[in-house]
Amino acid sequence: MKCPLETREERVLVAYSSRTLDGGDKELLEAHLQSCSACREFVRGQREVWEALDGWEAAPVSADFDRRLYARMQREVSWWQRMRGRMGLVPVYRALLPVTTLAALVLAAVLLERPSPPRVPPQPVTAQVEGLQPDQVVHALDEMEVLDQFNHMMKPDSSTPRM
Amino acid sequence: MMERVNTNMGGATAALDYDAELMLRVKDGDGASFAQLLEKHRSPVVHFLYRMVQQQAVAEELAQEVFLRVYRSRGTYEPTAKFTTWLFRIATHLALNALRDGRNERNQERLDERSDDMPALQVEDRRPSVEQAMVHQATLDEVRRAVAALPGKQRAAVLMHKYREMEYTQIAKVLNCSESAVKSLLFRAYETLRARLAHMA
Repeated sequence: MKCPLETREERVLVAYSSRTLDGGDKELLEAHLQSCSACREFVRGQREVWEALDGWEAAPVSADFDRRLYARMQREVSWWQRMRGRMGLVPVYRALLPVTTLAALVLAAVLLERPSPPRVPPQPVTAQVEGLQPDQVVHALDEMEVLDQFNHMMKPDSSTPRM
Repeated sequence: MMERVNTNMGGATAALDYDAELMLRVKDGDGASFAQLLEKHRSPVVHFLYRMVQQQAVAEELAQEVFLRVYRSRGTYEPTAKFTTWLFRIATHLALNALRDGRNERNQERLDERSDDMPALQVEDRRPSVEQAMVHQATLDEVRRAVAALPGKQRAAVLMHKYREMEYTQIAKVLNCSESAVKSLLFRAYETLRARLAHMA
């Protein structure tokens, strides 16, 4: 057997120290221990730990442990029964009805409270006109008059022969 | 001293686990089966938690929570693992949380005192002398201190291995880690304990 300390198989030594190594593995290790002082020292140290832990007794459980536990369980059951009794409901689907109604009301309230997009005020129709300056109007009228005269000049006159 | 349990059954044979059968009966509304489970596992769970948090009152409070959770989960219980694996997983989870929350932060201080939490010294027919009793108490305090100094998972692994004699595979399932991780945890834990307790030899 290869040395467990060299092959990083210390768990074999731990198992042997805790007396949980059985069969052929135990015999092989015991044969190895005859010739390996490092493993013997390891096992000796682990046995001491094991025996020290053996001496640590746990305290007995309190006599009223079960009574306290069942009281807590009863409180939980009673709470659930009170809730069901208060609502006067037997089947679960009936319990869902007020919950669903409440959820719908909350959803509606949220949707109604949601801020609407800001409205753009309609532009007054006279805005463009109001934006014009008087001299611009006069200038436009002058141009219209010029155009009118130009059109008049370009009209074929019946007294004037065509070129 | 030994609190042996049958650990021959692995998780795969959970369907044959009698405790799991009892739990399935609890699921069907059989309160007597719950009482049987409580009777069988009350002491192992309380003792495990006591050694984890080292305060009897806290340990019993946590144990009550363990059994309450078992009872609450009865409706959804499925025997996918051995019952004790599930039970100790709940217990370990609660104990590690309690340690993390510092619910037993005064624990170290209390180790210096003779506490009512501590079990009475085992008195044989031939009563030990006062000196022997003091030596025994000092030894016990050293052991408790050494265990309390271990990281939570190492502590849980050692307690399940030493006092419950659980196999590596089951400890791995309780701690939700690999079997090789458990071997590593145990080796480190025992080595730390050996170093801390070496002066007692």
